[in-house]
Amino acid sequence: MDYLILIFQLIIFPGFLFTAVIGLVISWVDRKVTAKVQMRVGPPLLQPFYDILKYMIKETCVPEGASKIFFLSAPLFGFAAVNVAALIVWQSIIHPQAAFMGDLVVVLYLLTVPALSLVLGSFASKNPLASIGGSREIKLIMAYELPFLLAVLVPVIKTHSIRLADILGAQAAVLAPSGILALVVAIVVMQAKLALVPFDCSEAETELTGGALIEYSGPALGMYKLTRVMLWVVMPLFVMVVLLGGINLNNGWQGILAGIGKYVGLVVVAVLIRNTAPRVRIDQAVRFFWGKVTFVAVAAAILALMGY
Amino acid sequence: MIDVSMHSIILPLAFPLIAGLLCLFVPRRAGQFAAYIALIAMAVMIVLCWPLLTAAPQIYDVNRWIHLKLDALNRFFIVATVFFGLIVTVYSLGFMKGKVRLGEYYGYLLWTVGFSLIALLANEFILLLIAWGFLGLLLYMLVGIGGFSAAGAAKKSMIIIGGSDAVFIFGIALFWQLTGTTRLDNAPIMLHGARATIAFFAIIIAAFAKAGAMPLHTWVPEAGKHGPASVAAFLPASLDKLLGIYLVTRATTGLFVLGGHFHTLIMFLGAATIICAVMMALIQHDMKRLLSYHAVSQVGYMILGIGTGTALGIAGGLFHMLNNALYKSALFLGAGAVESKTGTTDLDHLGGLAKTMPITFLVCLVASLSISGIPPLNGFASKWMIYQGIVEYGKNGSWTWIVWLIVAMLGSALTLASFVKVLHAVFLCKASPEVKRKNITEVGPGMWLPMAALAVICIITGIFATRLPLRYCIFPAVPGSDAFAGTWWAGPATIALVAAFIIGGVIYLISSVRKARTCPTYIGGEIMDTAVISDLPQGKERSVEVTGTAFYLTIRELPVIKSFYSLADKKMFDPYDLGAKIVFYGVGILRKAHNGVLPLYLTWFLAGALLVLGFVLTVPLK
Repeated sequence: MDYLILIFQLIIFPGFLFTAVIGLVISWVDRKVTAKVQMRVGPPLLQPFYDILKYMIKETCVPEGASKIFFLSAPLFGFAAVNVAALIVWQSIIHPQAAFMGDLVVVLYLLTVPALSLVLGSFASKNPLASIGGSREIKLIMAYELPFLLAVLVPVIKTHSIRLADILGAQAAVLAPSGILALVVAIVVMQAKLALVPFDCSEAETELTGGALIEYSGPALGMYKLTRVMLWVVMPLFVMVVLLGGINLNNGWQGILAGIGKYVGLVVVAVLIRNTAPRVRIDQAVRFFWGKVTFVAVAAAILALMGY
Repeated sequence: MIDVSMHSIILPLAFPLIAGLLCLFVPRRAGQFAAYIALIAMAVMIVLCWPLLTAAPQIYDVNRWIHLKLDALNRFFIVATVFFGLIVTVYSLGFMKGKVRLGEYYGYLLWTVGFSLIALLANEFILLLIAWGFLGLLLYMLVGIGGFSAAGAAKKSMIIIGGSDAVFIFGIALFWQLTGTTRLDNAPIMLHGARATIAFFAIIIAAFAKAGAMPLHTWVPEAGKHGPASVAAFLPASLDKLLGIYLVTRATTGLFVLGGHFHTLIMFLGAATIICAVMMALIQHDMKRLLSYHAVSQVGYMILGIGTGTALGIAGGLFHMLNNALYKSALFLGAGAVESKTGTTDLDHLGGLAKTMPITFLVCLVASLSISGIPPLNGFASKWMIYQGIVEYGKNGSWTWIVWLIVAMLGSALTLASFVKVLHAVFLCKASPEVKRKNITEVGPGMWLPMAALAVICIITGIFATRLPLRYCIFPAVPGSDAFAGTWWAGPATIALVAAFIIGGVIYLISSVRKARTCPTYIGGEIMDTAVISDLPQGKERSVEVTGTAFYLTIRELPVIKSFYSLADKKMFDPYDLGAKIVFYGVGILRKAHNGVLPLYLTWFLAGALLVLGFVLTVPLK
């Protein structure tokens, strides 16, 4: 019976369907805002849904000489991981005091799997451009993981716990200086985790013609897109749970509104960055993350250690 | 809990030694016969040792020198040792077939198991030392079986391990002087004063050299690359880790009581090992060498965990040791399978094996994900425990823990990066011309069965971590380690992951993916394989290739990192090479004194005589 509830939570609410629908709506917001920035009209609300459906009926091509099963199942690893990550993050918001399935470390590790599945899929494509794209993605992981770890460990430094419940419970209403710096770092890293400009070097339409995704088509490509759409929900929510106090559901509609406000705020920042920044080269990205961003993250960690 | 009689404890110690002796007498022509002796012996050993897993702790006082003790810590080490012995023996049946010196190979393999059990059970330092010395020698012999190219690697291993053994003897002498006993199970001594500190570090040096922790790791990449893959899987990857970590655990939890600074120092060494070794692994061009650097890097996690001194950290470190032995030997055996089919482990000359060697690919994939700590595999479970141990350690008020935690977690990402490179270069990218020319097929079941068994165990020990390995091996050995500070429901999480995977599969099934079409790869608008890149004669044509070995040149060229790599290239971090430089410099000075001119020798003689005379005259007579 417990497992039936678990499966329901995973598939319907708050897992797959719930998260995917929110993600698709948010991706519409992204496209609409982008269109406004570029003086276009933008797509209708249901366009992202149509797009996903369209992927499902398009033809699938598997490159010659590639392992067909591995090529097609690579997107599913990332999809599975993002679903479980979504479930854990949502549960920590809905039932803040109950321990559920995984803690901070678990979510951190699950959130690297979508990128990993993209890398493995690109390698399975047997295309040099895909390999280059995949290698850029893995280098990007190496680069942003260091500052990201430092940023999300700021609350761990304060609470000495890796449980999401403890981290949520310990956050004060007003952001501490260390928390603000960590949030800045997390926003920058989020941009890379969502493969948005300026850190979309793994796909780089202009020089790699899609890079990591070059050989993917049809439902397999749709699966990657769906995974990314769900990451649009999970990543900001995770940052909110760790650094911004999550969504307070006990406070009535005010709490919910404040939560939605935080979420939309994070999304809008990401969309604005992606529309105003140019793409960086991979070595610039690595240098940026291991240099400036890590510097800020270290400052945040030191402030947290000092109690600020 | 069952009581194990004295005979049942002596028998598994003596049995492999006798069987090994038998193997040595097998004539060269009938070498494969030794393999069957070893296989039967290992199977018998499993039967003999399995009951020890739940045996009651007991002391076996055979005589003054043979003093054994079975307790909650060493009993699972024993079973693990024999298990890996069996796996490697089964694998060797196929892998070593047709090679020379098989009698010696299997004989040494069995002796290694025998002496390891003696070292693990010994409650007497002298006995431990004798077994330890033999193990160093056997490592030299086994690596040397790799042939002419392995001679240098064998020598290097021998010198580093042998040198650390000398330090070990010195440490034991100091320990004996301090405590008046050479028993391992007397009350732990406080670690203050010079003698206790030196004794502690002498023992730690021996353990670090055996486990391959920095800075005494440099024999591992050599032995791993040049020795046979089965030996690499058995010794540097699993058994030497078990022994080294066993000694570290004994030293830090049983023999000595550590103060705060010693914890910091050991954790520093662990963290440094993780990050430096994984950075070296990133840039390797040879699969076995790359794996060896990971064999070093993973020790860092174990030492870091044990160095915390918290129950969770120690338990995590021990669990990580078991897990590492599982996935690392699977990877080495996979490398051996690749080598036996293609004749090389050079990443630049492989590729495309995912389709021709699917089982080896799957094994390496699972093991790679496991070593990178992807949930719900076993590598994640133990790393997760180590992280909690570090957070617990941080409650004592020091700030260093955050550095260790970051390094350990970042090490995971870097490990993933270097294994992604292996998967690309060996299995997924386009086959190199050398591989294309050979008709590659999967290895026989004698080789893939042990590998697959290890991969399956990696999955099982991950999903059922708390129910199986932790419950039977680790929790009894480390009291209080079952109170986790975090949340990880491995079982439900696995069900959720599998269910989500199935949702994706169902979406595939109702979509158009069933009608998937195979089509050639295009690049720049032309079919890749026929795109004209260069006009070269048949057999020498080059195509567009990305092997993956150059993936991390971007990282290599970064400002600070670049200078570290160039220092490492000059072997500035290798105590073996540094030591060699110092020794040869000293020898060079002495050599100048030997110019073959008789008057100079007479001068030396006279000077020496005068010195002796002076000494004799100044010593007062009684």
